[in-house]
Amino acid sequence: MPALEVIDLATSFQTDDGTVRAVAGVSFSVDKGRTLGVVGESGSGKSVTFLTLMGLLDPRLSQVSGSVLLHGEEMLGISQSRLRQIRGAKIGMIFQDPMTSLNPVKTIGWQLEEAALLHQDITRKEARRQAVQILKEVEIPFAEQRVRDYPHQFSGGMRQRVMIAMALINNPEILIADEPTTALDVTTQAQILRLMQRLQEEYGMAIIMITHDLGVVAEVANEVIVMYGGRIVEQANVDDLFVKPEMPYTWGLLGSLPRLATPGGRLEQIPGQPPSLLNPPPGCPFNPRCEYVMDICRVKLPDLDLSPAGVDHRFRCHLDPETRDRIWTVKKAGMVREDAA
Amino acid sequence: MTELLVVENLQKHFPVMRGLVFQHEVGSVKAVDGVSFTVNSGETLGVVGESGCGKSTMARCLMRLLQPTGGKVIFDGRDITQLSRSEMRPVRRDMMMVFQDPYASLNPRKRVGAIVGEPLEVHRMGTDNERKRRVQELLEVVGLNPEHYNRFPHEFSGGQRQRIGIARALAVNPKLIICDEPVSALDVSVQAQILNLLKDLQRDFGLTYIFIAHDLNVVRHISERVMVMYLGKAVEIGSREQLYRNPKHPYTGALLSAVPIADPALGRARKQVVLQGDVPSPLNPPVACTFHPRCPRFVDGKCNVDTPPLDPIGGDPTHLSACHFPLEHWPMSEDEMRRIGVAVAAAD
Amino acid sequence: MTQFLIRRIFWAIFLFFVATIITYLIFWVIPADPAALAAGKAATPADVARVRHFLHLDEPIWRQYLRFVWNLVGHQSLGRSFVNRQSVNHTIGQDAPVTASLVFGGAVFWLALSIPVGILSALRPRSILDRVSMTFVLIGISAHPVWIGLLLSYFVGFQLHITPIAGYCNFFTGTVGAQCSGPVQWAYHLILPWITFMILFAALYVRLVRASVMETMAEDYVRTARAKGASQARVMIQHVLRNSLLPVVTILGMDLGLALGGAIFTESIFNLPGLGHEVINAYNNADLPMITGIVVFSTICVIVFNLMVDITYGFLDPRIRPS
Repeated sequence: MPALEVIDLATSFQTDDGTVRAVAGVSFSVDKGRTLGVVGESGSGKSVTFLTLMGLLDPRLSQVSGSVLLHGEEMLGISQSRLRQIRGAKIGMIFQDPMTSLNPVKTIGWQLEEAALLHQDITRKEARRQAVQILKEVEIPFAEQRVRDYPHQFSGGMRQRVMIAMALINNPEILIADEPTTALDVTTQAQILRLMQRLQEEYGMAIIMITHDLGVVAEVANEVIVMYGGRIVEQANVDDLFVKPEMPYTWGLLGSLPRLATPGGRLEQIPGQPPSLLNPPPGCPFNPRCEYVMDICRVKLPDLDLSPAGVDHRFRCHLDPETRDRIWTVKKAGMVREDAA
Repeated sequence: MTELLVVENLQKHFPVMRGLVFQHEVGSVKAVDGVSFTVNSGETLGVVGESGCGKSTMARCLMRLLQPTGGKVIFDGRDITQLSRSEMRPVRRDMMMVFQDPYASLNPRKRVGAIVGEPLEVHRMGTDNERKRRVQELLEVVGLNPEHYNRFPHEFSGGQRQRIGIARALAVNPKLIICDEPVSALDVSVQAQILNLLKDLQRDFGLTYIFIAHDLNVVRHISERVMVMYLGKAVEIGSREQLYRNPKHPYTGALLSAVPIADPALGRARKQVVLQGDVPSPLNPPVACTFHPRCPRFVDGKCNVDTPPLDPIGGDPTHLSACHFPLEHWPMSEDEMRRIGVAVAAAD
Repeated sequence: MTQFLIRRIFWAIFLFFVATIITYLIFWVIPADPAALAAGKAATPADVARVRHFLHLDEPIWRQYLRFVWNLVGHQSLGRSFVNRQSVNHTIGQDAPVTASLVFGGAVFWLALSIPVGILSALRPRSILDRVSMTFVLIGISAHPVWIGLLLSYFVGFQLHITPIAGYCNFFTGTVGAQCSGPVQWAYHLILPWITFMILFAALYVRLVRASVMETMAEDYVRTARAKGASQARVMIQHVLRNSLLPVVTILGMDLGLALGGAIFTESIFNLPGLGHEVINAYNNADLPMITGIVVFSTICVIVFNLMVDITYGFLDPRIRPS
């Protein structure tokens, strides 16, 4: 049984300007010990999907439909108190900006203890012990002393480690990481990704890595879903996605990476801007920007079809397979493969 | 190839004051601590480094937005380091900047036409009509609709706002444009558009760029020469090929190694060098070579005693590195990686 | 920490001089003649001249100032009133408790009202409660305390006889020479003044608390707390409140310090013999020592309260500990 299974999740917001359809029917699953990469840009709905799942949206302003099964247990529509029991205990979440994600007036020890005391029936002393222990796990030096320090006394990378510690202190089944390294330096990012992989080996939890950085995805993910305009437009295991992407948006993303393109040459660019979710275009959400758009794309949303190549590789596109193959072969030839550094 | 910009030993120290009534300096934050480099006309110099390395401070010193505390900036053959305000004014026409945050670098209360036209106004170029036409021309050049002259910044997306910033920088026909992380805040798909635009503009208008970024891939793509900074100093300068294929400074190696590769197979195959610890505080930098506490090639008694000068490697005057024990090959050998302070990624 | 305190004390002394010098300068410039006012209507020019000499008003202004400083430093005395030759120290000593009663009592009420209302408004923006409280805020800020005071004292005091119209009662029972005394009478006489005084502040603070709470609730660390599974109540109390009330502490210190200088309007309407009332009389009589004395007292209050705010802030926000 997968650790998490999401079936046809949809989230809309009521705003002054109208209804924003942030997530328009998303389905995927994650198994224990595996990492799911969720790739998307602004307006893709990637963050909202998981905020919905965690129940962190304001229920008065949002409408949610679909099903979210945590080890078989339905999470949508359950009581607030049951949801609170799950949040922080069965599912841990870390966010993007470590500089603002910790309460500045409480020690990190207090904040870690709070996470433990909310879900475990233990004494304060035991919570303190667990806090020090988990700080050591995330490689914070001098954990016994540092547990009494305040967030502003830590660097960005250290704060992110504290966030990870806080999310893992109750040994959750799933860790959701929403752009955890975007705000960090590249060397710090490497440390944090390395740490997360090690912790996954040790604790065995499933990780959901939300990011816009395809490099990070290539490095840590086992399976990947690509989101655009509130929908999944492609999903595959990580090797298949990079070897034979099937959807023009994915081609565009890969092509616009300076790494895979010819240095100094022209980058493949996707014209236009990320979509407005207030008035989504009919048909395929990517059609206004797609180089290969056909009339049908503007009218009918392509289904998530199975690709003949790869295992469980799905995508949305009206183009026929031969054309897709042809286009991708040409594009791939244009991207120079560099030797590993 | 003329040298458009020559920087000699640039320094910017911020004093730390202490004292009851009369404050005296007890130390200083050495944000930029002796940086020297040259930029040739028509070329792009990429500047990479992580937080606290001083790249943004350095950029502001080049433009005299901050006053350097030492060293010289020679722009177009002229030493501009100590020029007065009025003497600097005509110089500013030739040196413009594009900023990182497209949401914060445009005045939300001004219309786009006014924003792009402001440099023309400041430098008193052209009549009102001429300025308007020039602004519309510029909007078109950067890929925007000239009819949006009267719109406000909030009516544009992030990428479009960055184009407005670029148009503003182009307005007075500068020779040098300093781009301070111009694409970091943009989505990947939009990033490519802006990078392509910058390249096209460089070709069409004969611009020289200094491109500051923390994303090594972006810098590699757009620059001919690259400078790596660490804690206020330049640790390696070289051509794109030299730096990315044959880095000499261990920090450059660590940076390259840390960048995730957008190719799972290649990523698994390589062995990563992961530095330990955090970047030290510029208030209290390590002695001699500032990188020595984290360096995999550290040699006690040398690296923490003698400051390594920025010197050409192997007689090649175009590839400079500040290291007593530069990397011998790249990728690093197993042997090199087993030294102190390095965590080796287990191969899958 | 000590360095911080010493620096503040130096600063305080400097401010004190600035404030008093400005007072003397203003006095020098205005065309009032305290000697004539003090001597009375029936005085002859010779009388007035004698009074003038007695009060040292024939000396140059800087001499008078130095005399004042000497008096203060050497004898800890703020001088004597031009009007009735009473010690300024003594008068202030009598008036200050009255003003303090008004100000501190008012503060308790305005905080007790504005904090809960502000929080509830922030939790339910654009609800009926929110709209009502924002309307109240608008009225509270716009309506002048004199107008409010007069309305209240007329309708509640005069027409309905619920509370007294004016006058102050001493807190401590059995004070010699007072018409009424004792805590009950004290509070009873202060009800209308408290309400009048606090309305403006309550309005301002409701707005402040509301904005601050709303801003804090949108912070990332509040989201983190929710992600940990904390209940709404816990999030509010442990994470939101302490952070959002920090600005309230700062402003409270400033407001209290300033108000102690004299809640002028309220004291006038209700005839409370406090510092505000005193300073108006002193002004009308060009009573320089009294005015200066109250300025000094006011300045000291502002400085002390600001200092207390800084220290409290250091306790509340670890990022700002002076070190």
